[in-house]
Amino acid sequence: MITRARTTALIFALATLFAGSSPAADDVALLKDLTSVIMLLGMPCGQVVSAKRQADNDHIASCKDGNRYRVFVNAEGRAVAQKQ
Amino acid sequence: MMPPVRIVGILSFALAVGCAGVKEAPPSAVAQSGPLTVDPAPAGPRQPGRAGDEAVAIEPVASTPTPPSMSHTPPKAAPPPAKAPARVSASPPAVEQARKSEDPAVVAKQLEPPLDVAALKARLRDTNAIGIFTKLALKNQVDDLLQRFRAHYGSGQKTSVASLRQPYDMLVLKVLALLQDSDPSLARAISGSREAIWGILADPDKFNAVA
Repeated sequence: MITRARTTALIFALATLFAGSSPAADDVALLKDLTSVIMLLGMPCGQVVSAKRQADNDHIASCKDGNRYRVFVNAEGRAVAQKQ
Repeated sequence: MMPPVRIVGILSFALAVGCAGVKEAPPSAVAQSGPLTVDPAPAGPRQPGRAGDEAVAIEPVASTPTPPSMSHTPPKAAPPPAKAPARVSASPPAVEQARKSEDPAVVAKQLEPPLDVAALKARLRDTNAIGIFTKLALKNQVDDLLQRFRAHYGSGQKTSVASLRQPYDMLVLKVLALLQDSDPSLARAISGSREAIWGILADPDKFNAVA
């Protein structure tokens, strides 16, 4: 009986641990956004596989094809992809 | 005492439950209708950022990979009303003429919902299908295209704006490519409004009225 109670407690602990939105989901959304904006700007990339945040709305995106871009919002309010 | 296999099974179930993500609710597919209003201000907030000296300028006609085109099947035309053979008084050529007048394109146009650009703009702004950078880039490209229309009409040229049709189509295709997987209802709405929006852009009076 005690063992069953412990198991149940463990289940709830694990469920609580893994439930909810994870930071990984946000990362995936960011990578998708960076991929889209680079594509929209007509730059070769394929797919952004990793990104490093430099500041608000300023990221270094690494593409699957090896290209790297700094994606940021400039002073004029334009989204810009700058090849690194 | 629980057998180890049972414990492993319970733990696996717990892991599966824990890892199950909460899917985003699909965007509302509520049909929007309303008066014909066009707000040229594009979607997407302006955000402060840093200037780049060698920044790549955003060009509306940038050579992006051609996105998969959406199907543009017009809405099915309403079938012609069934006629009772005994009550047909018109001669066969007259019936043919009447059938020809029911052009499917005309009927389909009559079935189209009224254009509501403001609602489309709001849906585009609120959709989760595209991220903030992408929305901003789209907004920039819409602004650029509107600027080209303004320049065309401002120059006093009497030529048509057919040269701007291609960049317009490219921009619409880009939007559709971005939306069609994650927000298909919005993609359909934009695709269905494509000609109506072009009708406003291509008419100087309508354009100046809304710009």
